[in-house]
Parts: sequence; structure tokens; C-alpha cells
Amino acid sequence: MSRRALIDRRACLKGLGVSLGLPLMDAMGWADTADGKAYKPPVRLGFMYMPHGVIMDHFWPADAESFLSSPPTAFEPLRPMLDQCLTMKGISGVPIAPFNGAPHALELSTWLTATLPAADKRSEINIAISADQVAANHVGAFTTLPSLELATMPQNWKENQEGLNEGYYSHCSYRSPTQVVPAETNPRNVLNRLFHKQDQSGDTTQVNALDRSLLDIVLGGARDLRQTLPTTDQRKLDEYLDSVRSVERRIAAIEYRQKEAALEKAGVRASKRHATDSPPIEIKIPEGDKRSEYMQVMCDLNVLAFQTDTTRVCTYIGSRPNGASYPELGFNDQHHSQTHHRNDPKMVEKVAKITEFNIAQFAYMVKKMHSLREADGTLLDNCIMMWGSGLEDGNEHTRENLPFIVAGRGGGSINTGRFLPDTKGNQGDLLTTLLVCAGIPIDRPIGIATKQIEAIKA
Amino acid sequence: MTPSNLIRGVSKAPVFLALSLILCLASPCEARADTGGARHEALKADSEAFFSDRVTPFINDYCIQCHQNRRPTQAGVNFSPALKAPGHAAFHDQWKRAVARVQAHDMPPEGAPQPSDADRQMFVDWIEKLKYLSEKDPGRFVIRRLTKTEYGNTLHDLFGVEPSIADGLPDEVSGEGYLNSLSPLQLEQYLTIADRVLDRIVAPEDARPTDVQKRLFGEPATPETASPEAAREVARSLARKAYRRPPTEAELDVLVAAFELGRQNDLDYEQSLHLMLKAVLVSPQFLFVTPAVELESGADIVPLDDHQLASRLSYLLWATMPDDELMALADGGTLHEPEILEAQVKRLLQDRRSRALFDGFGAQWLGVGGLESQVFDPAVFPQMTAEMREAMYDEARLFFESLVRENRSVVNFVDGDYTYLNEPLASIYGLEETVTGPEMRKVRLSDGNRGGVLGMPGVLAATSFPNRTSAVKRGVWVLEQLLGDHVPAAPPSVPALDEQDRETVANLTLRERTELHRTNPVCANCHEILDPIGFGLENFDAIGQWRDQDANGEAIDAAGELPGGERFSGPKDLKAIIAGRIDDLARNFAEKLLAYALGRRLEGYDEIVVDELMHEIAGDGYRMQTLINAVVTSYPFTHRRIQDERSSDEQKSAD
Repeated sequence: MSRRALIDRRACLKGLGVSLGLPLMDAMGWADTADGKAYKPPVRLGFMYMPHGVIMDHFWPADAESFLSSPPTAFEPLRPMLDQCLTMKGISGVPIAPFNGAPHALELSTWLTATLPAADKRSEINIAISADQVAANHVGAFTTLPSLELATMPQNWKENQEGLNEGYYSHCSYRSPTQVVPAETNPRNVLNRLFHKQDQSGDTTQVNALDRSLLDIVLGGARDLRQTLPTTDQRKLDEYLDSVRSVERRIAAIEYRQKEAALEKAGVRASKRHATDSPPIEIKIPEGDKRSEYMQVMCDLNVLAFQTDTTRVCTYIGSRPNGASYPELGFNDQHHSQTHHRNDPKMVEKVAKITEFNIAQFAYMVKKMHSLREADGTLLDNCIMMWGSGLEDGNEHTRENLPFIVAGRGGGSINTGRFLPDTKGNQGDLLTTLLVCAGIPIDRPIGIATKQIEAIKA
Repeated sequence: MTPSNLIRGVSKAPVFLALSLILCLASPCEARADTGGARHEALKADSEAFFSDRVTPFINDYCIQCHQNRRPTQAGVNFSPALKAPGHAAFHDQWKRAVARVQAHDMPPEGAPQPSDADRQMFVDWIEKLKYLSEKDPGRFVIRRLTKTEYGNTLHDLFGVEPSIADGLPDEVSGEGYLNSLSPLQLEQYLTIADRVLDRIVAPEDARPTDVQKRLFGEPATPETASPEAAREVARSLARKAYRRPPTEAELDVLVAAFELGRQNDLDYEQSLHLMLKAVLVSPQFLFVTPAVELESGADIVPLDDHQLASRLSYLLWATMPDDELMALADGGTLHEPEILEAQVKRLLQDRRSRALFDGFGAQWLGVGGLESQVFDPAVFPQMTAEMREAMYDEARLFFESLVRENRSVVNFVDGDYTYLNEPLASIYGLEETVTGPEMRKVRLSDGNRGGVLGMPGVLAATSFPNRTSAVKRGVWVLEQLLGDHVPAAPPSVPALDEQDRETVANLTLRERTELHRTNPVCANCHEILDPIGFGLENFDAIGQWRDQDANGEAIDAAGELPGGERFSGPKDLKAIIAGRIDDLARNFAEKLLAYALGRRLEGYDEIVVDELMHEIAGDGYRMQTLINAVVTSYPFTHRRIQDERSSDEQKSAD
């Protein structure tokens, strides 16, 4: 590149810096209500996952009428707040042919994409943007984190099924068909990231003032590099360019938030929070390695991220397919091996316990959300929290009736307190509907969706 | 063959597995064909003629009716694109599945016209010729992001910081399943880690610069020397190291722009250099292995340039950046020459850093990578402390490394007569009297049941349940990890034993219970092979201790017979039988290592590459360095395809 070209780019970079000032920021925050007094909180979307399906007798409610009064045992942990929950039977999963031998590799990867990997590129990641990332694309710019991805276990399980890329096993979030979004497993790192603290010392440092300009320069260099590369390499580099731009936006959003907070503090500007809103919850990072405590702190982080409007989209892989056991429940058997129970009562009981344990962590999270005041209601009122699994019956790998629980009324868009015994739809339909309820303007359905499930809506 | 065949056609399909395994276990596989270039061309022509004369009519007569270019296709199988490009790697699995189904008489379905037995056999036999239809193709290889491990090690080599500085990055799988993907989370981390690196290497204000600072930025500048030109020279030397190739002038312009950004914002000369270093550390040229030279447009397949090759080699064997010697050879443009490359492979393998090959590849291959977090019932196996697990891992590592560094035969993985122990681990062997202290040392083994990976506690533990052994897991492990056979997953809906049966079952030994598999025809075909191998290792408990009785006090019966008729009475005999399959052992190891080295699954033309490797390896007694060298000098390791050879429209129709 010549000197002249460098000068040209610098002029261009300057322009870029200005355009990153997020001029729409004001319009993108919590919207004023018609009377101009109170802010209406945004709808947040959360997804929490458990692999391997459920014990059907233990999970499915007997009928719509008895759901609230005598729910099935799996719902026990949610009992005090079943009126905040919705569950439905009849949501089918993506049929996995021709990957019939990959039920577990596809459980998680199809969960939020409702799409099968491309058969002729199975050894690479080639699937579809996931529902959480579709949502993040729309609401991510309003917050300092476009989305938050959490997992209980590292996403490095190695097992090959049907020649599929091993990444499919432990990832549910995809930023593009080829770009995986990794999840964080360390609660301290998550906490630091939410509040842009650096290092373990816990010092809050101001975002390095030159980072954005520096990234602009690096981005320019990366574009030059891109031009010299063959097309296949260019596509890989595009992930890098996209990531840099995303981090730039994040820095801009943090700066904006800091300015906003300063204005509020100086009394120049009214706070978007209501005086009656609950204060941010406290995070206690557990010392030991008890699974329940660990999962609860991850749930707390999700709650805090939503409560502080640090992000509006969160995915939590509560457990991954294979390799997980639950010593806390008094047995060391692996979840997966027990799900092939062949109706052995001992194994069935263990799977039921594991399921209840996972639902209990979800219940912990939504109860906490329900305990927090926000605007005229609770935090949960403004959330859509989906819990679910990628199989119905782990014993036989069936996917005809995937188990889902939705908690929260999504800002009044969802009619909770019900069991819908005869829902006709697939997992893409459900995801599409939930996104619409969250106010995401989607231009195409999620995966195999063909319609919205109107029965869910308020 | 894939598990799907079993799920659909449970009663018949496993025959294919059984047959292929009998072939492998019962007769030493014939010597691999010598396939030089001309020979390959001849075979290719022959194979193409056979395909159009025989296979195409077969597909048209018996398959295409249901499996063609229209939606929905039956079971997602569509032969229309595969008939047009039968040798394309994307269709290899489809062909193999089709052959398995046809061989099992599972396809064509009942009621549809059936081929004659001779035609059916023709189609089944044809699969051996499939590979010759492949075009010579090194496979797609796109610029690759450094893994978390590689990134940490590279920072260590550049700045002397601990590799753990990268701990905040997400964990990832290595090798074949590596996700060459980048997300904002990672980029954010790169930025944070760059700050941390600077914190570590930059001396506090007014203090003398650290040695690392002097090495990177030169002696402290004076007002006369603190010029943008000087900064450019610093950038040149920084980028050459960090980008692992000479930077272009355009790349230096970018770094100098970062330097000037600092100057414009009132940073002094040194601080502006630090900002420039930060730019280096978040640049794609650092984070990815990028080519050093711009390619002519229009090329499909190109050799790697020498700098790219240096990085590929160094990251494979060391999981870190090339050292000065490799860089000098790359600068001189000679690294790709076979004898120079071979000498470098030898040199790198002798270096301590080559333990990366075990940590990244060997540990996954042997299955001991997960030992650290594997659950063992503490009531049954209180010995499985963190120290014990580490010792088991190190035993496997030191054994692997000794085979590589001493250039031993791959068969020693099975029949080696030595191992590495410390006192706690020696207690598993019953050798705690002779081996004392916490350090690992080489120990000669006189017990023929021990020695090699089949008698190694780490491997035996990794293939067990938390509180007991699993003959099935061990059998699968031997077949898949050692001999390279594919074992289909169990069909999900194994018929349940009824209540009455269950009471009977409760009174059976583990072996008797497992043998029920073989009374059920659905299970028998696979378990006839798996179970005897697993039971042959039953004298080793779930953490690899020798035992003559199981947990219920029943005598262990480790005798068995393989489908080919070979009989054994315990681990020692079984080891000898498996060691006799040296060609399968070597081929499997070569395939797994090649897939790891390429970071992708093997397919299509790779099969021919492996045939050629095997010829070379067998000719030198299956030695490890020869094998590794053959992988590194192979066509797909030294070349790359830079275009997708099919347009995306065609790919859609192939789905």
C-alpha cells in the first residue's frame, strides 16, 4: 500500500469513528410510555438447556385442567409459580435424517437453529444463525453486550457422530451459518465482562480510551489483507472483521452508558429506572464445586445481566450432551448412560432426578426474576425464559414432542399458567413465535418453521 | 458404515460390520497397493469405466426411483448429483452407506425390484474402487486461527509470559473437530490479554526497561532516535516474529498508523510503540496463520509457501510458533525440500516442546485427555486422586514420547515391554515395593499381561464406568482407536427385558449378563466381536488393577474367541493377536494423525494419500518418525485447495 492510500484510509477511518457514535442510542433505550412519565422495560429472552430428554410420565401434565392444581413431578420445583409458566406438548424437533446416527451431536446444535447441518459440509460448521443470535442482531445494539452465552461445562467434548464436526456436540449459538458463538464457563469472567472489569484483581478500569481508534486502524489493515486472499480465506477473515466491528460497537455502547450514568448522577437527566425497582442483585461466587451452587451463580448472572439491561438475550447450556454426571444427587452414573434405561425403574428414577435437578435450577432463576420489582410488575413479567431439551425420550432418541417450559409473560405478549396438550408445530415455529413475542422484527422464520403458534400468545 | 444402518435395518445390517471385522481380524490385510501417479491415473480410468458401465445402470435400475433430484427425497438420500460426480468427497459417505444397505439386503426395500445376487455383489465390491474416482485434491485449507493452546504458547515464546495468560479464552477441541471460528468474545479477550501482556513486560515509569522491552523495542530512544522511521523498523522486527513471516510494507503502514495514533494522543514514543504492539496482537496476521505471498488469481491448488509450511509444521509438533531455525529456512525458501523438511521433523520431535503432539493428539487418541475430570466412585476407588490421574496421564505421555523420540515401531504401542511409573501408580501394578518416590521413571515390565496401551491403567480407566469395568467400551476402544474400525452406536430402542427376565438377570455375572447381547440377534452381530475383546481385558479392573475375581467374588473368565477363530486366554494372548495386525495399527495411527494434522476429516483422495503413506511406512518397519514424516511431507499437508470446486447452487441440490 502506498503512502497516499494510507492517508486516504485515515480520512476514511475518521469517518468511521464518527459513524460509530451510535446516533440512535437515545431512541434505542427503554421507550417512553404515551404519557411521557414512565419507561416501559424491554422484553428479554433467555434460553436454558438440558440434554437427553425427559421421563415422559414424569414430565407431561395429565391434562390442561389439572396442570396448576396437580402438576407432574418434574414441575414440582416450579410449583409456587406455575401461573407464570406455560408448557406445551406437540412441538416436534427437526427430523435428523440423514444423520440418524447423530442424535446427540444434533440435540444442541438444532435446538435454537431448527436446522440440520449441511450434509456435504458436515465436517465443518455449516448450519444456520440461531434464534438467540437473530434476536441479538436486533436488540444487541441497545446494550453493552449484544448477547450473553453461558455453559456449565467446557465446550470441548470430543465425539464423532456421522462425521459431523465435533463442535456441533456442545454449541447451540451460531452467529452465522459458519460462525460458532462460544459460551463462558467461568462466573468470575462473566461478572468482569458484564461490568467491563479487568483482571482478577477486580479493579474497575476505564475502557482504554484508544481501543476503538486502534481497532479502526487494525480493521483497515485486515481489509487490505482480505483483498490479497483467495475467496475461501476471505470468508474466514470476515468472521474476524465482524468480531472487530462488534467489539467496537460494544466499546461505544459502554462509553454511551457511562455518559448516560454520569448525566443521571448529575441530575441532568431522569433515570430510566423506577424508584421502586429492586436494586441490582448481589453475586456470590461459590468456593466449592457443587453443581447446584455453580449453576445458581450462572443463573444469578443471567438475572443480573437482564436486570441491569446489560444484555437482553442470554443462552445457558445448563448441561451438555454426554460426559455429565451428578454426584450431588447421590450417584455417579452419567446422565447419558442412564437415559438408555430400557424402562429399568432404577435408571428411570435417576433420569427423573436429574431432570428435576435441572428444572430446579431454572426455577431458581425465574423465581429470582419474579422476586425483583421492575416498572409496574416484576422482572420476570418482562422476560421470556425458555427451558427445554433436544430430545423427548433419551431412551429411544425420539423428537416428536420436545419438552419445553416457557416462564414469564414477555411484557404481556404470552398467556402463562397453562398446559397446551395438543399443540401442532415444530421447534422452529416455537422459536419464531417467541421471537415475535419479544418484539423482534424477523424477516424470515427460524429453520423449519412454517407458522407461529398463536395459542401461546396472550 | 454408519450407525444409521443399524437403526433402520437392525436385523440384517450389522452383518456388514461383522464381515468387515472378520476380514480384518482373521487375515492379515494384504499389502497396500503401490499407487504412484501413473498407476493412479490408470486405476482412475479403469474405475471410471466400471462406474459408467456397471454402477450407473445399477443405481438407475434399483435406487433412483425413490432417491433422485426432487423433494422430498427418500431418507434425504439423492443419487442425482452423486451420479454426476461420483468421486466427489461429499458423496463418499453416501456411497458407503448405500453399499452397506444393499449388502445387508436392506435396500432396495421389499416389494421393489431386486438385483440378482451377482449384481448385488458387484455393487458391494465396487466400493473398494471408489477412491480411484477422486481427483487429486489436497482438500480445502483456509487460514486458520491459532487454538487457545497455540495462542498461549506463542505469547510465551514472544514475550516470556506464562501460557496461562490465555486462560480466559473459551476451551476448545483440538484436531479434527477444531472449530476454526472467531467470535466477538474471543476478540474481546485478545484485546484484554494484549493489555495484560503489556502490563507484564513494560517496566514501571522511571524504571529501567526490561530485557523483553529491549529485545522488542530496542534501547530506549533519545529525542533524535524517536522518529516514525525508527518506529517503522521496530514494527518490521515485531511483525516478522509475531506474524511468523516477513510483513508487507502495507502491513507496516498499518502498524505505524497505530504508533501515530498514540503520538497524536499525547503518548510518548515508548508508549506509542506499546500501542503499536497491541495492534500487532489483535491483528489477523497474528491470530491466524496467513500466507506470506499473494496468490495468482485463478489457481485452484497451490503449495503452501515456506512460511506457512513452517507455521503448520511448528504448530503441529510444538503447538507454538516456528523458532529461528525454521524461520531462517523459510526465509531461504528451502524448507519445503523433502530432505530439509525431514531433518526439521526429526529436530522438532527431539525437542521438549514436542510433548504438544501428545497433549493435542496422543491424549485424545488414547482417550486419557478426559481422565482429569472423569468421575470415579470415590467409595470404590479412593485411589483416584488428582495425583494418580496425573500419573496415569504422564505414563501414557512418556510412553508415547519414547516411541516417537526413539523412533520405535508403531506396534510397540501394543507390545511394548516397558512403561513409566512413580510410586502411587506403581501400586496399581503391584510394583510399589520397587518403585518409590513421586518422580516418573522408566520401568521394565516382566509381566506379559502388562506393557503397551492395552495394559495401561490410564487407558483402562478411561474406558470404564465410575464403579465398574465395561467390556463393551473397551471392545469399542480397541476396534476404533487401535484398529481403526468403525463401530456403530447401539440402536436406541434395544428391546427391554421383561420383568421376569430382569429377576433372572440380577443373578447373573457381568459376563453372563453381557452375553445376553449375543442371544439377541439385534445385538449379536456387533457384540460377538466387541465383547470377547472387552472380556479379554477383564482381569484389569476399572482403574487398571489386576484381579482374579470380580467385585462379587466370581472368578474372572478372560478367555475368548474372535470371529475368525483365533482363541485367547487372557490379556497377554489378546495383545499378541492385536499386535499381529501391525498394518491395521499403523494405518489407523497414520489416518488419525493425518486428520489431526490437517484439522479435518479424511475423505475422498485422502484414502489414496494414506495408501501411499502406508507403502512408505511399511517399507521402514512402521517406525514412528517415518510415519510422522510421511504425514508432514504428504501432498495434503504441503498443499491446499483455495477454491470451492463446486458452486453453491450445486451444493444446495446435493443436500
